[in-house]
Amino acid sequence: MRGSIVSRVQSVAYSSVLNRRNFLRALVTVLGGAGLLKELLIPGNIKAQVGALGMPQPDELIDATLKRLFGNRVLQRGDDKLKVELPQIAEDGGSVAVAIDSSLPVSGAVQVSHIYIISDKNRRPMLAKFSFTPESGRASVATSVRLATSTDVRVVAEMSDGTLYAVSKHVRVTISGCDLPPQG
Amino acid sequence: MAEVGRVSIRLPSSIKQGDVIRVRTLVIHPMEIVQRDKANKIIPKNYLFIHTMTVAYNGKEVMRTELTQAVSQNPSFTFPLKVDKPGKLTVSFSDTGGKVYQGQSDVHFS
Repeated sequence: MRGSIVSRVQSVAYSSVLNRRNFLRALVTVLGGAGLLKELLIPGNIKAQVGALGMPQPDELIDATLKRLFGNRVLQRGDDKLKVELPQIAEDGGSVAVAIDSSLPVSGAVQVSHIYIISDKNRRPMLAKFSFTPESGRASVATSVRLATSTDVRVVAEMSDGTLYAVSKHVRVTISGCDLPPQG
Repeated sequence: MAEVGRVSIRLPSSIKQGDVIRVRTLVIHPMEIVQRDKANKIIPKNYLFIHTMTVAYNGKEVMRTELTQAVSQNPSFTFPLKVDKPGKLTVSFSDTGGKVYQGQSDVHFS
């Protein structure tokens, strides 16, 4: 299919009838083939491309998020390496305390480069990403996040060699802390 | 919220050379969440929330954090810092409105 697009563009160019109509038609063919036309025609996407950081990102399912962040790498169980403190029942999903502590090194050949907090059922599962350096001294962090509903929360530590350690904990949320996707 | 952007930093009372200290920081910020219209579609607009937190010690970046709208309002963070020499700790929060809020604290040994 791609070959046909190229040959059409070439034929337009070679036949030396590169008037406006032919040019536009060729452009549409190429852009349509690349799937770009649709994106360019939707105003929301244009704004997102301009770099408005606060524009809402599309909803994403947990599998898509894991794929986007980690590709096909396997999440190893890291229960002995990561200590995650989360409440079993959170009354207010708008502020759920998360405390992460880890015995993994932050300096040396293989070190913790990032720690992710991922909630399986939030509209955008990736909640926060912490990047450490040797000057951090320790891979540990605490904050509070919003959970949309009762969900598993994963904490993933990414090592500099690509190894992933994950700990998953279930949190029951009484009052939703943020936006729910339409189908839960 | 009159004091949006106020950053406070708390350090341990006693710090010795070579310690890994726990720094607590808090910023006053609404961290706006997405809104939906009646048809349950997200209203597209530039939502105001902090997207990046950076920690610098003596001018060198030691930690960077990517945040989303799923972080609570008036977010607080506890993070580690290895102090080999005294210096100035700077925590900066950048929000989607283009503003940068900074807090500074001096680290002394005692």
